[in-house]
Amino acid sequence: MQRPEDAHLNSEVQPLPLAASASSLNTNLRLQKARHTLPPDAHPLAQSEASLPSTTLPFRDRRSNPPGAAAASLFRSTLIGGATPPGSPRSASPARSPARTSTTPTPLTGSIFGGAGPFSKQSLLDTDAVGNPGDPLNLILKSFVPHVAIHASEDADGLVREKGFAGGLWELLRPFGERVQGKVSIRDSNGVARSWEDFTVRFTRFGADAAEEPEPFIGGGGGTVAAAAANGQSVRVAGDSLIAQVETVVERHLRYAEEAHVATTAMTALPSPTTTMSTTRERGLDSNATSPYYALYLRRLLSGIPLACHESFAHPVACVMAISSRNQAPIEALHRLYKETTQGERRLPVWVDGDYLRYYVLIHDEENGDITKSMALFDQMKRNFGLHCHMLRLRSSQSAETDDDSIPLPRSDWMTPSEELADIEESDTREDFEDPTRYIFESDATAIRTFVREMVTQSVVPTMERSVSVWNDQVASRRRGISGRFMSLSKRWAFGSSSRSSSGGPASSSSNYDVRGFYRPDSPEAIMRRLADFAFMLRDWKLAMSTYDLLRTDFQNDKAWKYHAAANEMAALALLIMPQNMSSKTRIETINQMLEQAFYSYYTRCNSLYGAVRCIVLALELLRLRGGSGIDEAVRWGIRLLESSLMGTVGDALLKERMAICYASKQGAGSQAWGSRRRKSALWSVLSAEAWVTQAKYVQAQKCLNEARKMYALLPGECGVQNFAVASDFLAHLNDQVKEGLGLGMAWRDHMGDEHAEPELLVDEESETLDNRRSRRTSIINPVGGGSAGLESAPLNPLKPVEDGSDTSRKDGFG
Amino acid sequence: MSYYFAIIGTQDNPLFEYEFGTSKQGGDGQARFSEQARHLNQFILHSSLDIVEEVQWTNGQLYLKVIDKFFNNWVSCFLTGGNVKFLLLHQPPAPVGGAGSSTRNSTSVGANPTSPQTEEAIKNFFNEVYDNYVKAIMSPFYKVNMEIRSPVFRARVAAAGRKYL
Repeated sequence: MQRPEDAHLNSEVQPLPLAASASSLNTNLRLQKARHTLPPDAHPLAQSEASLPSTTLPFRDRRSNPPGAAAASLFRSTLIGGATPPGSPRSASPARSPARTSTTPTPLTGSIFGGAGPFSKQSLLDTDAVGNPGDPLNLILKSFVPHVAIHASEDADGLVREKGFAGGLWELLRPFGERVQGKVSIRDSNGVARSWEDFTVRFTRFGADAAEEPEPFIGGGGGTVAAAAANGQSVRVAGDSLIAQVETVVERHLRYAEEAHVATTAMTALPSPTTTMSTTRERGLDSNATSPYYALYLRRLLSGIPLACHESFAHPVACVMAISSRNQAPIEALHRLYKETTQGERRLPVWVDGDYLRYYVLIHDEENGDITKSMALFDQMKRNFGLHCHMLRLRSSQSAETDDDSIPLPRSDWMTPSEELADIEESDTREDFEDPTRYIFESDATAIRTFVREMVTQSVVPTMERSVSVWNDQVASRRRGISGRFMSLSKRWAFGSSSRSSSGGPASSSSNYDVRGFYRPDSPEAIMRRLADFAFMLRDWKLAMSTYDLLRTDFQNDKAWKYHAAANEMAALALLIMPQNMSSKTRIETINQMLEQAFYSYYTRCNSLYGAVRCIVLALELLRLRGGSGIDEAVRWGIRLLESSLMGTVGDALLKERMAICYASKQGAGSQAWGSRRRKSALWSVLSAEAWVTQAKYVQAQKCLNEARKMYALLPGECGVQNFAVASDFLAHLNDQVKEGLGLGMAWRDHMGDEHAEPELLVDEESETLDNRRSRRTSIINPVGGGSAGLESAPLNPLKPVEDGSDTSRKDGFG
Repeated sequence: MSYYFAIIGTQDNPLFEYEFGTSKQGGDGQARFSEQARHLNQFILHSSLDIVEEVQWTNGQLYLKVIDKFFNNWVSCFLTGGNVKFLLLHQPPAPVGGAGSSTRNSTSVGANPTSPQTEEAIKNFFNEVYDNYVKAIMSPFYKVNMEIRSPVFRARVAAAGRKYL
C-alpha cells in the first residue's frame, strides 16, 4: 500500500489544471461505465440529462394540482418506469434472482429440506445480493459506514451557497460520500488487505444531529424500567417519532404512486394506442417486481441512526474543517473551528470520544481567488496541521442546467426521514415549488470526487485501521486472554457476593458504568465498543463479532441494558454476515438467543422502539439470505415484530409483503418442490393485499394479489384456495375492492378494454415460468378476463358450489 | 378454545370442514372465531400444507402433532395412508380475560397447545375421526377426493370433539 505521505505529496505537486481534470473526468466516466454492470446512467454523477424521468412526468401535469413536474423528482426513488433514478432501490426480488434459481436444489438428506442454505458456508458478502442497490444487505453495508462531520467556516459555506446550495458545503459534498470512487483497500486485524468497490462514508453536519440522551441510572435491577418510564420519555419520543416519520415518508410515496396511477389510467384512455401499450406494459412489469417501498422504508430507517451513547456508528470518525481562500485570517479561522469542535456550544456530548481525526480543507475559489496565494496558504496549513489537509478547487458561480459542462447533482439517497418529509411538505404547500435538482460543473465534480477519495483512502481508513489495531492490542486482547477472563471475574467478585446480590449494577465501584447512564469514552468498555464498531464499518466481521461477544457479558453484568441490546444486535448481524463454520442448528440457536436478548432489552427494558425495529428487521433480512431453515426463523421474527405492533400500518403492510418474499425465496426439493413455502408465501401476499386495501393503496394491493395468484398457480394442485369456499370468496371480494379502487379515476371509461389488456400480459409471463401443467391454471391466472370459473368470477356468492365435480357427488347421495 | 377441523384431499381440496369449540371446562362446544377470521382459518390451514409436505418425511408416524403456528393459531396434523390430511386448527382464547379466567384456562386441555395432555387429546380425537373416516369412505358410492357429505360422519366428528377436546 502506498504510504500516505508519499501519495499526498504527489497529489500536491500536481498542478491540477482544469484541462487535465476535464480529461481525467472523461476517463473517470469511461471507467465507471466499464466497471459497472449497471446502466451507465444509473451512476449518480454520470447520469446524463436525457435520462431524467421526463417520460414519467407529464401525467402530473394533467392533474390540476400544483406540484407538477418539480415534485416528481422528490418521489423519484420509488417511481417505476421511465429512467432509473440514481442509485434507486431497484426491485429487490430475490425469489427470482438468478443466483438463487441457478443453485442446485439441496439434496434431500436432512430431516428438513434444505436445512443448510446454498450460502451456508460463505460470507454473505460473497453472494450476489451485495451488488443490488435495493437489496437489504447492500443497505446494511451502506448504512453502517464511517460518519464524517463537516464543520465549515462562514466564508466557506458562503462560497458554496453562491453555487446554489443553501445547506453549504455539507449539502454539496453529501452525495459524493455515497460512493467513493474506485476501490478502497482495507486491512483487517490480521493484516490481510481486501479492496472494496462500494465503500462509502456519510457526511453529516457537525453538531447538527440531535443526540439521544442516555437514561440516568436509578437504582438497580428493575429500577431501569422505572427510569425508562420516568426519564426516558424524551428518548422514547425520539425513537417513536423517527419511526413515525419513516412511515409518513413512505406513505407519501405510496400516495403519490396512487395519484400517478389514476393519472396514468386517465391518460391511457386517450385514443393513442402507443401510450396504452407502453403503460400497460409498465404496469405489467411493476406487478412483477417487488415494491421499492420496502427498500425505501429500510433506507429511511437506517439513514436516521441517532447519535447515541450505546453505539458509536453515528459518532464522527473524522471532522472536515473547511475554510475558503476568501478568509482573511485562515490559520486563525482553522484554529477557531478546531476550538469549536472541542469546547463550543455545538460540541458533541461527553460520551462521544473527542479524539477523532481532524481534516483541514482549503476551498480555493477558482474564479476570483489567486492560485499562488492559495498554494502558499496551503503549504502553511500543512506545516501547521500536518498531512491531513486538502485543497479543493471549486468554481464559485452557479451552474445552470443549460451550461455545457453541467451535470445534475443527485439528491442524497440517505436523507433522514425528517429532511425528506420537509421537502415533501414544502412541495405540497408552495405553489412555486422548484425542482430541487441542482447542477454543478463537471470540473467541480471531479475535484470533489478526488478530494473524497483522497480523504477516505489516505486519512480516514488508515486512521481507523490504526485505531483498531491499537485498541485491539491494548484493550481487547487483554480481555481475550486467560488473565483477562480472570480479571473480569475478579472484578465482578472482588467486593463479595453481597454487592452483587444487592442489585449489583453500576452502584458498585468496580464498574465503569456511569450513574448518568453511559460509559465514559475512555473506559475500556466504550473503547471496545468503538473498536467493534470500527471493525464492523471496515467489514472485519470476525473481529467485530468477537468483540461484541465480549461486550455482551460485560454490559449484562453492569446492567447497561441499552448497551447490552446494541451489542447483542450487532453481534447477531456480524455473525450472520460472516462465513459460517458452525452447524446451522447451533448457529441459528446462537443467533436466536442474541436476537432475543437484543429485542427484550431494547423493547421491554429500554422502551427503545427504534432499536427493536431495526434489530429485528435487519436480522430478518440476513436470516432470509442465509436460506434454508433461516427463512422460517426470519418469518418467525417477523411475526414477532408484527405481534408487538411496533410499526405503523404502512410498516406492517410492507413487512407482510416481505414475509411473502421470504417464503417465496425458499426452495423446494424434487419435482413437487417439497419443502418450499408457496402456500405460505401466497397467504402473506393475501394478508398484505388486505392491509393495503384497508389503507386504500390499491396499486400495491393489486401487486400483492398478483403475487398470490402466481404462487397459487405454481402449486401442484394449481387451484390454490379455490376449493375453500370462504377463503376464495374473500379473495374474490378483495379483488373486487381493488378493481373498484383502481377504477375510481376512470369510472367513465370503457371497462372491458382496459381489463383485457392486462391479463393477457400476465398470461404471457406465466406461460414462460410455468411448466406444462394442466390447463386449469388459466382459470386462476386469467381471472379478470370474464367467463372462466376462477376465484374472482364467483364473487359474493357464498352458496354457490365452487367445485365442478360437486354436482356429480351430490347425485351420488353419499350420506 | 376454538377448533377448526378440516380433511384435505390430495389436490388441496377440502373434503370436510367442521368448526367447534371446547366442551371441557364448561365450554359450550361453540367455536369462538371472529367473523372476520373465518376465511383466515382456511388460509392458515391451506398454508400449513407446505409444512405438512415437509414434515411428513421426517417420521413414520401418522400423527404429526403440532406442525405449524400462525400468530395465536396452532395447527395439528394427522396423515392418512391415502395422502389425505386431517388438519386441526386450534386457537386458545385470547388472553384478554381477567385473572380468574386465566387460571381456569391454564388447567384446560387447550391452554398450552404443545403440552403432552393436549397432544394426547388431539391424538385421540384424530384416531376416532380416522376410524369413522375409513368407514365413511368405504361407501361404494364414494370416489377419491370427493367431498364427504354424510351427516352421520359429521355427527360422529362432533361427538369425538365433545369427547376429547
